Amino acid sequence: MNKPGDDLLAAMLAGSRAAVARAISAVENEAPGARKLVSGVRTHLGRAHVIGITGAPGSGKSTLINALLGAYLSAGRKVAVVAVDPSSPLSGGAVLGDRIRMGEHGAHENCFIRSVSARGHLGGLSRTTGEIVDILDAAGFDVVIVETVGTGQSEVAIARLADTCVVLCPPGLGDEVQAIKAGVLEIADLLVVSKGDTALAERTERDLHEMLHLGRKRSEWAVRVLRVSAAAGDGIAQLMTEIAHHEQAAGRSRRLRPETTPSVAAAAALCQTLARRDRFATALGIELVAADAGTADVALTIGEDHLNFNGTCHGGVLFALADAAFGLASNSHGVVAAGIDAHITYNRAVRKGERLVAQAREVSRGKKLAVYRIDLSNADGACVATFTGTVFVTERHHHS
Amino acid sequence: MDIRPKVLITKIGFDGHDRGSRVVAAYLRDAGMEVVYTPPWQEIPHVVKLAVEEDVDVIGVSSLATDHLIVPKLMQALRESGAHDVAVIVGGIVPDEDEPALLQAGVRRVFHAGAPLSEIADAVRTLALEVRAARLGTTS
Amino acid sequence: MKLPADKPLTDSAQARWRQECADQIGNERTVRNRSGIEISPLYGPADWDSGRYGEDLGWPGQPPFTRGIYPTMHRGRTWTQRQLIGLGIPEDYNARLRDMLAHGATAISLIPCNSVFRGYDMDVSHPELLGTCGVVANTVEHLDRCLEGVDLARTSVALNDPSPFTLFAFLLTTARRRGVDWRDITGTANQSDYISHCVANHMFYRLSLPGSRRVLLDTIEWCTRHVPKWNPLSVVGQHMQQAGATPAEAMAFTLCSAIQYAEDCAARGMAPDAVLPRFTFFFDISISFFEEIAKFRAGRRIWARLARERFKAKDPRSWRFKFHAQTSGVDLTRQQPLNNIARVAVQAMAGIFGGLQSLHTDSFDEALSCPTTEGARIAVATQNILRDEARLTDVIDPLAGSYYLETLTNQMEQEITRVMAIVESAGGMYKAVEQGLVQKMVGESARRFQQRIESGDQVWVGVNAYQVDEDVGARAPLAKPDAAKMKAHVEAFRAYKSRRSQAEVAGALDALARAAHDPQANVFAQVVAAAQAGCTHGEIVARLRQELGFGQPLAMV
Repeated sequence: MNKPGDDLLAAMLAGSRAAVARAISAVENEAPGARKLVSGVRTHLGRAHVIGITGAPGSGKSTLINALLGAYLSAGRKVAVVAVDPSSPLSGGAVLGDRIRMGEHGAHENCFIRSVSARGHLGGLSRTTGEIVDILDAAGFDVVIVETVGTGQSEVAIARLADTCVVLCPPGLGDEVQAIKAGVLEIADLLVVSKGDTALAERTERDLHEMLHLGRKRSEWAVRVLRVSAAAGDGIAQLMTEIAHHEQAAGRSRRLRPETTPSVAAAAALCQTLARRDRFATALGIELVAADAGTADVALTIGEDHLNFNGTCHGGVLFALADAAFGLASNSHGVVAAGIDAHITYNRAVRKGERLVAQAREVSRGKKLAVYRIDLSNADGACVATFTGTVFVTERHHHS
Repeated sequence: MDIRPKVLITKIGFDGHDRGSRVVAAYLRDAGMEVVYTPPWQEIPHVVKLAVEEDVDVIGVSSLATDHLIVPKLMQALRESGAHDVAVIVGGIVPDEDEPALLQAGVRRVFHAGAPLSEIADAVRTLALEVRAARLGTTS
Repeated sequence: MKLPADKPLTDSAQARWRQECADQIGNERTVRNRSGIEISPLYGPADWDSGRYGEDLGWPGQPPFTRGIYPTMHRGRTWTQRQLIGLGIPEDYNARLRDMLAHGATAISLIPCNSVFRGYDMDVSHPELLGTCGVVANTVEHLDRCLEGVDLARTSVALNDPSPFTLFAFLLTTARRRGVDWRDITGTANQSDYISHCVANHMFYRLSLPGSRRVLLDTIEWCTRHVPKWNPLSVVGQHMQQAGATPAEAMAFTLCSAIQYAEDCAARGMAPDAVLPRFTFFFDISISFFEEIAKFRAGRRIWARLARERFKAKDPRSWRFKFHAQTSGVDLTRQQPLNNIARVAVQAMAGIFGGLQSLHTDSFDEALSCPTTEGARIAVATQNILRDEARLTDVIDPLAGSYYLETLTNQMEQEITRVMAIVESAGGMYKAVEQGLVQKMVGESARRFQQRIESGDQVWVGVNAYQVDEDVGARAPLAKPDAAKMKAHVEAFRAYKSRRSQAEVAGALDALARAAHDPQANVFAQVVAAAQAGCTHGEIVARLRQELGFGQPLAMV
């Protein structure tokens, strides 16, 4: 069997769109030669400005991207879009219908749109999205837009991949701002209120301003809030200006910087190893479900021995479950992290027989400290407890 | 070889009845495939671009009225763009006397209204496997 | 399996029946109709009591109108036989039209070519696709030739012409040139319901949702002043039912659309009694015989109530649920096509018993391609047989009082009302469609129906049951428009375009564009002016698309 190899890479770099498409497929399907391709493009990276567009389903992502495409293409830029659609949890298949909402721009020769199924991957991106972005970067696109699944809550993976994170809020979100999990609004470099020509949008804009004012500042960049009415074309020019400002301030190719590159596969493998070494978690019956760089999901079926004197699940068990996910996620980057602070809130009683999943997501990670948010849900998807934890990042590395 | 077929379901020409194409797209998804779905009234050059960028294995053209009459144009455009290895199937209302011309133009299968969805899915899977195997024999 | 509700079993005959029924079919699976309503094997007085006559039925021509909107219904005046036709070049259409009128059709319907539906002129369309399913008419002259020999002052013309109704503008210009007063023009804008287009992607939306809204309201307003006998709005349930909505859903969504349109008109200052009398409806008739009859009767009742209670309309003409219906092409098969004649007869009967005002019967070869002359003739003959041989119209609303039918009508009314409430809680039909809610429901119903076909639960003769091996070569070849004639038609069109006063054309299109941006202006008035200035269909549509926005697909899988 021949491998897609140097010929493919050369064709890609020479401008063949078919070669770009084949390269992406090779990476998506883990074809032989894919690894070689991925390392082959490494020396050609750094040109593209990666913009992540995220937000809950129905918040208007595709319409916004459509408007941005129009603006970038008119300015003569070469734009690629990676549209990530959710996959069916039952069959694993997917209908990739996002690109149809990007209207007529898909036909433009300077535009390349690739629809990608999340393939069950948690965190809103498919496992190989980063590699796909690399391919598009190497192929010469100035702007690569990554549109995510938009679970709306835990989109931290996009924060690591994109240079500029645009989070879309439909009007009305403001009322529920306090209830919104910290994750998504905290990754935003730009907050965009869609359907911006409505009165409700104005209020949402104000609420978001207030929230930012009260929250922590993550970096030097002051997060902006914008109102956009993509259908009418209002606010697009302003958004593009702010994106350009952010690019100037924060730079490009963030994903290539050392602290953000641990490979996903390595993280997952490391978590498996660490999970096996965790005797307490094992004794309780906690299982690792999935793990990635900065994220981990663990599960536990509540048994007789997990109950308290009221006959419901012991709070310590829930804490331990959340803590197990916390520990794995915070250590997944390969560096030893030690928990220094943790809080749990119990939202509802859990009964024997219920199967709970704890999902840990990285809220922020700096040189010394990192914060994680863990949600515990039951089989119906109801949130039974929420946990926040902070770790101290040491200088030591894990050895597996 | 176990693959996840990637299929483009589209309509070219002027007809807008898309109930059939939507039902097929949903069925293929439930069968584990990745379906790039477009609404009706796609221009042929756009369909070709789509097929190339999305690197699909199979294109399913849903045709009512007489839109199948321009499918040969699509086949020609695919060949000219170098995407000739994509398998094309046509489904919908196709008069029997027009079927040979489609097959001669390179269409792999024609499904008439009322064809069981499982048969369509099986055909798609078989064609996708064929296309992937053939592609592995080339480098670009 | 539900057996008829019973009072204490004091009636030993009934008890005996129940026992025998349970013995023979007690283990049978539940039977449901397409709208999901469970159907019992038998209905009796316990299900519907004739004491409810006054409340449920009333008399024909009076509220609640269950038995019909007019006192004498088809006995007094038969339904309009309005067969849809369209093909080839204007002369082809005109020839077919005269043939139909000679064979009993009493009104005209014109289907334009799909290219026209889509908003394009013939010179930019794939030549292979021109005229295969409708007539290629892009100018006033074309429409004039289509309707040659037709007395526009006395013949009702239904145009299948979506917003911005260029063909209607061409018709008006033709009328003026023939010296026919616009106040005498009767007919219907069959594809004026832009909401249904957006739901079903079924027809050829051209303008964006808000743009279509603007043009429709302008047109309704303009017609009330200039063409008072024209029905500028036909609220369409057919598209949605063909796209997969259940009969109850189709009726519900249609009524919700009508509510939306009435509210939009009211917001423009048009009083209910000024516009509701000109609302007509257009439905699909599936082969689910009793369900369709019940659907129409329930629709009449609900509409009358809406008109009187919600819109406070005082004019009895506002309360009348006037509708045209077409036998459903979706039920027809390609396999053993002659079976379709039987199917269409059953569907037509359901429509007749349902109290329609106008009927189109499909030709048996509909599922193969565009109808042949023979197929079209049989379709009209079917109607004549039902009316004149079977004498179905001797009695007004003959099935009323049937325990089954009255129970089913009530149940359909409940189901329709339930679906309407879902749309209302989403903020009304416009918002529900904007959000994709209606499309989602229709898609799910389509999927469920497909599952029933795949499982054999819904039998489809020739397709999933009673299949035979057919000699497909024995079928007569289908008619295709003459390629040479079409080519000449396109060339003549090109010549026409270069002959015109370009200044006049440009001026008219600019005026149209200005009107589109002026909320006080009437866009349709400018469409008519543009027609009179010699603008083509494609030019008018393209300009308005530019100014008011393109329609975008809103439907999902």
